[in-house]
Amino acid sequence: MPLTAETLAIGDDDHVQRVFLERGWTDGLPIVAPTPERVEAMLAGAWFGPDDLLGVEPVKARVLTAEKAAINAVMAGCLPADFPVVATAVTALCRPELLVHGATASTGGCAILLVVNGPIRQELAMSSAHSALAGADRASVCIGRAVRLVLRNLLDVRPGELDRSTLGHPGKLSWCVAEDEEGAHPWQPLAAERGVPDGVSAVTAFAASGPRQIMNEWTTDPVDVLTTVVAEIKSTMLHYSIWAGNYAVVFPPQLRAVFHGAGWSKADIRQFVYDHAVVHRSDWEAVGKAAVVSDTNRDRKYRALPSPDDLLVVAAGGEAGGFAAVIPPWLGPKSAAVTEPIGVCVDC
Amino acid sequence: MITVLRPDYEQTAAPLSLTRRPLTLAGATIGIVSNGKANSRPFFDHLEELLRRHWHVADVVRRTKANYSAPAERELIDEAVRWAVMFAGVGD
Repeated sequence: MPLTAETLAIGDDDHVQRVFLERGWTDGLPIVAPTPERVEAMLAGAWFGPDDLLGVEPVKARVLTAEKAAINAVMAGCLPADFPVVATAVTALCRPELLVHGATASTGGCAILLVVNGPIRQELAMSSAHSALAGADRASVCIGRAVRLVLRNLLDVRPGELDRSTLGHPGKLSWCVAEDEEGAHPWQPLAAERGVPDGVSAVTAFAASGPRQIMNEWTTDPVDVLTTVVAEIKSTMLHYSIWAGNYAVVFPPQLRAVFHGAGWSKADIRQFVYDHAVVHRSDWEAVGKAAVVSDTNRDRKYRALPSPDDLLVVAAGGEAGGFAAVIPPWLGPKSAAVTEPIGVCVDC
Repeated sequence: MITVLRPDYEQTAAPLSLTRRPLTLAGATIGIVSNGKANSRPFFDHLEELLRRHWHVADVVRRTKANYSAPAERELIDEAVRWAVMFAGVGD
């Protein structure tokens, strides 16, 4: 199948940069010019044809094709080997439960966090170590940026247009992390916990607020570490949104050692957080939100998680430091995390 | 000269045509659709009062979306077809 996107003939690369910026097609950083040759190579990287369907965004009913995603992946600096992750992430964006339209249009200012699992992490030399949440390697940066450009160019998510974020956060530029599966043994990878078979790579997409870092380096007791984590989650429930939804917690090696030493699994962590991350509406009085506390709701109890399975436990981070990150949801249950296997269908 | 491909969505569906605007609000049925946030209520209360008192509309129908982050549900859109004018708004 030939490429079908409209072509533009532009004088030179400097002119390409200027035209794409003027048309609102870039995030402001330089792009790689999406020539037909580069786009064809990108598609070949994942064995896609140009008109292969990645998904239909359900609110605007927009058909997202491999060709258009590949154009944006080229612009973001992706290599063809990255494209299976980008294409799968685009499919995840189209799942109704993610509600990408609401998440990206909301004043709440979330970003789409991608967590990559499986063998493709090593094929792309993705790092799960130092600065894991901040674009630790080439592939993570480019894949995250490609998805951001897809949102911008295919779904009109531009600041001040469809993107009505009051503040947003830096993850909106690019946010992709590979889980440290090998270093987390015997924990199961996130994707495996969410139904993806062993040996299959996968992407989990999550509409997420900015990460909130905690530190507890003064204990070898898992309960102490999780008590700090829960305090941060409860803080989010009071200061941001009280509604239950997916939360992610990212644990580095030093804190994982605490759990491994005590024999705690990811399931044990999820259950603890589910049981303890609870606030009452009356707690809002102490944080300046008394206006929405009344006699009829003050004793109402709110959990952070609808169920223990709604906590996404991710292993990542540099070897030293008792730092973890709590990543809250965009807005409670309005958007659910989605896990998509890469290159295979596991339920068809 | 470099040949590059457009990265944005290329519209394939035929553009929608706008409906005719009513010449007056007097005697018309007006719909007000709130996104469901609390601050939309006093704003639309005031708007309804203005519509009834100053613009002499026949009726004001107030509806609230089930999910303020998602499009209006099908039943609400079907009902809106019967209104001469609709106001929709957020209440952050």
